[in-house]
Amino acid sequence: MIEILSALGPTSVQDLGRFEQYRFGVGTSGAMDDVALRAGNILLGNDENAAGIEIPVTPFKLRFGRDRAFALTGAEVEADVGGRAIPPWWRSRAHTGEILTIKAMSRGARSYLTLSGGIDVPVVLGSRSTQFRGEFGGFEGRPLQTGDVLPCAAPNPSAETSDLGVGPADLVLARPNMPAGDTTVRVIIAGEYDAFDSTAQKLFWRSGWKITPQSNRYGYRLQGPAVNPVSPIEKRSHGIVAGVIQIPPNGQPIIQMRDAQTSGGYPKIATVIKADMWRVAQARLGSTLRFEQTAYADALAAEDEVSVYLDRLRADVRLFAELQGCR
Amino acid sequence: MPIDMTHIERLAKLLETSGVTSIEIDDEGQSLKLVMETSAIGMTSSVRADAISSSEETLVIAKADVAGHFLATHPWRAKPFAEPGQQIEAGAIVGLVKIGLLYAPVLSPAAGILDAITAEAGAMVGYGTPIASIRPTAETA
Repeated sequence: MIEILSALGPTSVQDLGRFEQYRFGVGTSGAMDDVALRAGNILLGNDENAAGIEIPVTPFKLRFGRDRAFALTGAEVEADVGGRAIPPWWRSRAHTGEILTIKAMSRGARSYLTLSGGIDVPVVLGSRSTQFRGEFGGFEGRPLQTGDVLPCAAPNPSAETSDLGVGPADLVLARPNMPAGDTTVRVIIAGEYDAFDSTAQKLFWRSGWKITPQSNRYGYRLQGPAVNPVSPIEKRSHGIVAGVIQIPPNGQPIIQMRDAQTSGGYPKIATVIKADMWRVAQARLGSTLRFEQTAYADALAAEDEVSVYLDRLRADVRLFAELQGCR
Repeated sequence: MPIDMTHIERLAKLLETSGVTSIEIDDEGQSLKLVMETSAIGMTSSVRADAISSSEETLVIAKADVAGHFLATHPWRAKPFAEPGQQIEAGAIVGLVKIGLLYAPVLSPAAGILDAITAEAGAMVGYGTPIASIRPTAETA
């Protein structure tokens, strides 16, 4: 078990998500940066869907109830366990009673703590993810608070636990010739794109969009020049998915994220491709987001790139464990 | 653990599958170096019977324990893990060996003052390659 000594904001238990109930209006929840969660679980020899803790705000502090391997992936954080500094994207081992402290986040927006065996909260509707809107799943259906004690499942006995790092996704999956500082994400045009004239479309593509403080797991509200359709569009609510970029009447785009409602009626100008959703998840409040148009085939190719990265990671971790076993 | 043929075969197989070109092992007076031929799947090995004698008595050496490229700094960071003159703990990370997507830490065997990082950033290192020298504090020397 682990005991939360300090948790701020919507720090929560998340696995990869709840995918079987969407048709009943139950959103997916799940780690905003699923690549980081998977990488942590791969390092630990866990099931890649094992639940970890998504930490969007520092400081964060917890105490280990027993010896346990853990990994920190996602945002770059200044962290230590029992006074030993933990580098980025790193697996290490905590001893009984030791305290893990995450002091500051210097790059990215969400850090992921995964634990050998995974956090063993009950599976609700097929997932351990916290559903904020419905207040179920995760730990008591709510953000973590000081004093919470979380159960962990038994570790994989064959998993290596020596200190080991992996190349962060944003280094390995970096795209060439991207403007420094801004986050550029690839999008596919969506249902109502043609309801915007070429001037409005150009504004959408060419503007830098500021991520406002009203951005969270539900959605990112962006700020920039107003992008409005030729004439107002009022649609009945219809099914939407994470990544959809809606344009409400004020002309300021909203990107739907992992806790978004499953339906909405605002016109959809575009959708962020699945392979770039983790980049949106790691874009910081106040930073600038840019949209780049891409084609369906390229979106699939981008997903393959993420899969190749994770495949290489699995293979390398296995190989390294074999090398250790050779000695 | 003495180096035997089954280990050598296993290591050769791992070199082949990992794309790593060479590996060097020092163990109980034996030293083994495997080098992959890049053109063919041939392999040369040499086993030396003489022990490697340590040249410095006052310094302890942090060595790589896996083959790969040495990094003194995490690629996300500007500051190296440890700098000469810095006090470090036993087990402190003095650098990384990059092998594929992984970063294996090079750990200081003793507490003390870091004397020097002897490996060059980006250089290929092998098992047992000296990475850093540490002047141990009196208690642990």
